[in-house]
Amino acid sequence: MSTTTRPRTAWTPGQIVLTLLGTAVSVVFLAPLAWGLFTSLKSETEAVEVPPHWLPEHWTGQAWKALFDTGNITNWFVNSLVVSVCVTTVVLLVSALAGYGFARTEFRGKGVLMGLVMAGLMISPAVLGVPLFTTVQQMGMVDTYWGMILPQCAPAAMVYILYKFFQGIPRELEEAAFIDGAGRWRVFFTIVVPLARPSLAAVGIFTFIASWNNFLWPYMVTSNPDLMTMPNGIATVMNSYGIQWAQLMAGGLMAGLPLIVVFVFFQRQIVAGVAHTGLAGQ
Amino acid sequence: MGQPGLTRRHLLGAAGGLTAAASFGFAALGSGADALASHARTRVRYWNLFSGGDGSNMIAMLNAFRAAHPDIAVKDSTLQWGNPFYTKLAMAAAGNRAPDLGVMHVGRVAGFSPGRLLDAWDVDLLAEYGVREQDYHPGLWQRGVIDGKLYALPLDVHVQLCFYRKDVLRKAGLLGADDRMVPVTSADDWFGVLKEARKATRKGLQTIGLWINDQNFQWWFFVAFYTQLGGTWFDAAHTEVTFDTDKAAEVLQFLRRHVTDGYADPAMGSVNAEQFLNGAPFAWEGNWSVPVYAGAKLDYGAMPLPPVFGKQATHAESHAFVLPHRSGRGGATDEAAHRLAAYVVTHARQWAAGGHIPAHLPTLSTPAYRKLYPQNEYVSAMNHQANEPKVWFAGSTGILAQRVGPVVVSSTLGSVRPDAAARRMKSELGTLLAMKNPMDGRTAAQGGTAA
Amino acid sequence: MTTAETVLAPATRARSAAAGAAVRRGQGFQHGGWFVAPFLVLFALFVIWPLLRGIYLSFTDANISGEGESFVGLDNYREALKDPLMWDALGHSAYFTLLVVPCITVLAFLLAMLAHHIERGKWLWRLCFFAPFLLPSTVAGNLWQWLFNPGTGMINHIFGGDTPWLTDTSYAMLAIVIETLWWTVGFSFLLYLAALQSIPGHLYEAAKLDGANAWHRMVHITLPMLRNITGLVVALQILASLQVFDQAVVMMDFGPGPENATRTFVQYTLEEGFTSYRVGYASAISVMFFVIIAAVALARTWLLRNREETAR
Repeated sequence: MSTTTRPRTAWTPGQIVLTLLGTAVSVVFLAPLAWGLFTSLKSETEAVEVPPHWLPEHWTGQAWKALFDTGNITNWFVNSLVVSVCVTTVVLLVSALAGYGFARTEFRGKGVLMGLVMAGLMISPAVLGVPLFTTVQQMGMVDTYWGMILPQCAPAAMVYILYKFFQGIPRELEEAAFIDGAGRWRVFFTIVVPLARPSLAAVGIFTFIASWNNFLWPYMVTSNPDLMTMPNGIATVMNSYGIQWAQLMAGGLMAGLPLIVVFVFFQRQIVAGVAHTGLAGQ
Repeated sequence: MGQPGLTRRHLLGAAGGLTAAASFGFAALGSGADALASHARTRVRYWNLFSGGDGSNMIAMLNAFRAAHPDIAVKDSTLQWGNPFYTKLAMAAAGNRAPDLGVMHVGRVAGFSPGRLLDAWDVDLLAEYGVREQDYHPGLWQRGVIDGKLYALPLDVHVQLCFYRKDVLRKAGLLGADDRMVPVTSADDWFGVLKEARKATRKGLQTIGLWINDQNFQWWFFVAFYTQLGGTWFDAAHTEVTFDTDKAAEVLQFLRRHVTDGYADPAMGSVNAEQFLNGAPFAWEGNWSVPVYAGAKLDYGAMPLPPVFGKQATHAESHAFVLPHRSGRGGATDEAAHRLAAYVVTHARQWAAGGHIPAHLPTLSTPAYRKLYPQNEYVSAMNHQANEPKVWFAGSTGILAQRVGPVVVSSTLGSVRPDAAARRMKSELGTLLAMKNPMDGRTAAQGGTAA
Repeated sequence: MTTAETVLAPATRARSAAAGAAVRRGQGFQHGGWFVAPFLVLFALFVIWPLLRGIYLSFTDANISGEGESFVGLDNYREALKDPLMWDALGHSAYFTLLVVPCITVLAFLLAMLAHHIERGKWLWRLCFFAPFLLPSTVAGNLWQWLFNPGTGMINHIFGGDTPWLTDTSYAMLAIVIETLWWTVGFSFLLYLAALQSIPGHLYEAAKLDGANAWHRMVHITLPMLRNITGLVVALQILASLQVFDQAVVMMDFGPGPENATRTFVQYTLEEGFTSYRVGYASAISVMFFVIIAAVALARTWLLRNREETAR
């Protein structure tokens, strides 16, 4: 994955055309977000005025203020954070161990288990939501944090990606450590994990994004508004004064902005992560 | 990678570790931030489906209750109306995490598995808090009784209404001496009225809004007019479909004619209220639109759906309080739930501002209620109720409405001819009658309704 | 890989090469079961068990209360095959897939080409095209529900007319497709971009020396080099699109759309299971859906293998 570094060229006509085109497309892509932002800064009555207009005539933060005053939004934000952080932590730990186990160690039934994990790639809450719900119901975890978290913690895809990665590291490093008398776990944590940091970062970032944005499973397993995550709460609980678009947009932005900010800061890692995970699947 | 990079990494690592630890701790506690914040007093979790004007009325009543009972903390949550609400309530009850108090439509109670997903009310306790059977219309109270136990405590009756703008009708000469719309007794009368009204309507507005794309409203209107024609659904034993396709086709044709004659515009199907506010002369809506129009200071009236087939009847449902199933029901929380429900039912004067007809008769007969307009124009609708059949698959947004509603819409919009649609409705009814109630494995004929 | 190689100092390499053979079958790599155990426990509980349980429930009349189911044989499957609503829902999901997959693939490719070839501000283009993907599905759905709103929305205002986007059978699914393109194209776009950047520059240099123009270079170098990633994008999109749920229900206020026109398969299974409380029946159609998804996934593996064999 070496990027070709070319010297920065001058503004050729071709570049000017492409840049203009890129700008136009970007405007189209950002317009809905801007529309949401501007709507959130209007009063509720101005938001539903016909015909609509882009910029608020009277800028007001009332929707944002009302969001915090009346809504469950801070609750949901905390819940989203708790669930996403727990899921990411467990997934990183568990799938790093499993990926390494499958790539590097020998044990009975490995081939069969690997096949099973591959089959797991096809199973999602969308496909088997109803039986998954009854399973969680049997365990008494409906409407609990664990009921939301644990079923998100067995992603075959992440194991597969890390498996591919660990297969690619030369064995010699570990062998050298073994000779020096290091134990298996020490080798894993002091040699293998540091090597895998970029891959782990990619897996972690993606798990976090997926979990933060996950709607379907939390929607199925939580009914208690106190326990809902942001995407679920915004969609299924309305505040008691009916759909108020300015507030809805403000809430939506609050759910979406953290990840966009994260993206701005960790763009390099995320892009490398997508490239890495995507190209691993080729 | 130099020293600064390392320290930043350590810092990030430490912050991440702390966040993770805190998250796991929080997840282990498992009750959500809000519940953590308040745990000192008896806490009643109460779920409802009231948005808009109903929502603010309910909140006002809850606030009054909170002021009167400072020892009880009420945590109310409003969920999206319709199926999402029933889904959430059923899943919570099935997972044994239900709220202490809930609201449902009475028509849904039979299918909601009383005894399994719902717990019965303690009638003595309710009486202690001021709610007794004799304060109710007997038929209404009985709708909530299944196998001799009360599962639903009715709060109101809500009906479909014909809203009309007096300013427009006055111009069209359609207002009587009593300042109410001229009476209508046949379909021809009705279309005559629409024709006159259209002449007085501003350009760009439809004459009548009747939610032609909405499967719930279309189904409710169908039930109303089909009942006016004296149509039936099933025989008494629930073994046979007695649905009359000729009568049904007549009703569907009547609904369709609003579109073919150009009184209702399919493109405006979802903006009924906006059109009415802007000056469209008619809107067929639930009585819950009263606060919207009253708030806009319109000069308007509201009457039950016109008796175009000779007999008064308009679609009616009821909101009712229920106790979702909890394995450990009882104790202070349960008593508080009874107290709260009884309080709201007996203080329903506020609720009537939302257009609903209070179920608690002492409230209904107060002079304060009698003075409310347009409530007093349509309060008689309580005596001409067109209800869905009493079977497990009926009730607001229930399986029946889901299966048959879209057929009505497709006829009104013209994608299926009325007679074909009527036949399709009949075959759907047959399918449903043969279907077993998933909660007890019995068909309607085998007593799957218990009503 | 590059990281691993740079970290591997030559000294280490030499030492381990000498000793490597001795430990290859040594204690270090044995008994790896403990590494996979935590994952397998979770996997068994939340993937394998639900699958088996789903298969079991599909032969019963189980309801939402989670107790008292009885065996009904193949009844659920028999009913499903005759259930017009099930076929409708499957049809809607397939129709959605058919519309989304080609559009998103082409759009992602074009956006990637654009972002790859503009010399300046690469991060900005990446951010703009990828940002929508970072929104939760429900937020993106609400945003577009608001944009498509007939009176107060921007779409009709900008393009004129009073198209009833969300209430007319002929537009409703289209509206969901448009929303989906905007929301998810960013992911495929990044995959394409990464693939473009990984094409070795010397291929182009050589072609230039041979006198190939830009068009030839694209047809003979870029497109063939992107074949694998296109296969991946298409496969991922098919699998994801067949499972469409979030945006459809959010934009239709959790209803099935005008005359049921946007009720997707996943939505139907959830309605049967959680709204009609027919968990047994919902399990049966879920199992059928799983078979379809598995067939699509296996077809891809099979195609890949075939291609590799012909390439050899």
